[in-house]
Amino acid sequence: MRWLLSLLLLTLFGAVQAISSAGQRLLVVLEEHSEKEKYSVFLGDLESRGYHVTVDSPKSESLSLFKHGERAYDHVILLPGKSKGLGPALTANALLDFMKKEGNILVALSSEHPTPTSVHTVLLELDIHIPSDKGALVVDHFNYDSNSAAEKHDVLLLPFPKQLRPDVKNYFAGEGVIAVPRAVGQTLGNESPLLAPILRAPSTAYSYSPKDEAEIVEEPFAVGGQLTLVSSMQAHNSARLTVVGSAEMLQNAWFAEKATLNGKAVKTANRDFIAKVTAWTFKETGVLKIGKLIHYLNEGISKKMNTSLTVPENNPKIYRIKNDVAFQVEISEYADSHLIPFVPASQDALQLEFSMLSPFHRLNLTPLSQTTNSTIFGVSFTTPDQHGIFNFRINYRRPFLTNIDEKRQVTVRHFAHNEWPRSWQISGAWVWIGGIWVTVAGWIAFVAVWLWSAPTEKSVKKTQ
Amino acid sequence: MPPKSRPAAAPASSTPSKPATSSKTGGSMDAQDIVLGVWNNYQKITPQRVKLLDSFMGFLVVVAALQFFYCLLVGNFPFNAFLSGFSATVGQFVLTASLRIQTNPDNKKEFESTSPERAFADYVFGSLLLHFFCVNFIN
Repeated sequence: MRWLLSLLLLTLFGAVQAISSAGQRLLVVLEEHSEKEKYSVFLGDLESRGYHVTVDSPKSESLSLFKHGERAYDHVILLPGKSKGLGPALTANALLDFMKKEGNILVALSSEHPTPTSVHTVLLELDIHIPSDKGALVVDHFNYDSNSAAEKHDVLLLPFPKQLRPDVKNYFAGEGVIAVPRAVGQTLGNESPLLAPILRAPSTAYSYSPKDEAEIVEEPFAVGGQLTLVSSMQAHNSARLTVVGSAEMLQNAWFAEKATLNGKAVKTANRDFIAKVTAWTFKETGVLKIGKLIHYLNEGISKKMNTSLTVPENNPKIYRIKNDVAFQVEISEYADSHLIPFVPASQDALQLEFSMLSPFHRLNLTPLSQTTNSTIFGVSFTTPDQHGIFNFRINYRRPFLTNIDEKRQVTVRHFAHNEWPRSWQISGAWVWIGGIWVTVAGWIAFVAVWLWSAPTEKSVKKTQ
Repeated sequence: MPPKSRPAAAPASSTPSKPATSSKTGGSMDAQDIVLGVWNNYQKITPQRVKLLDSFMGFLVVVAALQFFYCLLVGNFPFNAFLSGFSATVGQFVLTASLRIQTNPDNKKEFESTSPERAFADYVFGSLLLHFFCVNFIN
């Protein structure tokens, strides 16, 4: 009977598609409760992935991101509403504090509604810029949906995003077209390494404010690839914030809609894309976990390392200069509900730094083997000719992956007096060794002759 | 020792009067004579033990020079080896020179309290210490 119960429990857990690595409490901020129906499929999908969804209005008295000084929710979705103020619970500071405590935020903007002041402030703080004109939206005269926006060209149909760079993993790939209706385009600041675009506007798109009555748009907010329709920010503490330019993307109406792109009938794949975006934002994907970190004196093949997770780390505290040292680290990636072996992008490499203030070595780690849910990376090297306190450090920061910064401290000592090579092992010293022993032999011979030639002294003694 | 024997040798050969009259070619002949005279005197007057000391010191100079030129030629890589090898000969030379001063019959007056046996014993002790240090330093 018991096994039947456990089997039942197992299937129940199995039914849950994905569980975030950062918690299940999700707050959806929505001003008009009546609008909830528009997002029912989106919210249903989130619930089926294991989130405990709370829908609340920003005007609600009881709404608070924090409880007893800790986060009351793990993730927040901000959906657009009519009012420009979000109330005392959702000020810019409260949102930033929420991120400082590793909470994740998904912000949806809309060209039909004003962007709340606090959201605008937070985005500016993070160096994400949106047009200040109310109602500004992204228009493209080449990639529009001729069904719904035959005149205005403001419903964009785009393919799924490609890999951002050859050394960055793509978590948003898919099949089909994404509909982006009436989006608020964003531009990302050049200075911040924390920002990364998820979905860029095509090169023919531009930002347009309908208030401008002029025939020609003279100074658009941004054009082409400068504009991002969905952008992301990952803080140093790996808290994530995603800006979705068009809240309509999340609505049922566009989840699987028939559309026409350049005369061809297509079906929008927003549901799939939005699932990927929320999965990334709420840390279901792109989460790295560091396992056991091992280093040891490399004495050839005689010593084998223990990769078992059950045995705790037992690393040496001290090495000598010019020692051969081997280093191994176990890294897993959280994908959807479980840990899988982490494989870096094709042109990317995980690196080990052996550093005292600055790195003396920075070495690429190569994957040595894989367990069921981790990859073991390793490298062997010779400690530098410098004694002091060193760190084995892995500092791995990439777009869309949580940051890794892990250190293990060791002492590197100099040679002990009996560890130097003996003189006769250095062939260059043989002449001087010979010099010493010739001197000694000559001295012995001299002493012998001196003692043997004593009789001549007698003549001196006689005179005495 | 040779400087002291020279004044004794000079009047015997009566050389001082000759250089004044002779020409330059004659001067070189005289210089040869002087060297020869000095050498002969050294052979005749110097006690056998002092000769022995001198030849050992000459041997040490040769060994030290060889090591030094090897260092110039090849480089000083195990520098401690060069230092100990070279200083073994230099130290031995200094000790032997001290023994020569103390046991020379000409310096009898200055070393009333030190008998040649005592000087030799000191020398042996000093030399053994030197060898011990040199062998240790070369590792």
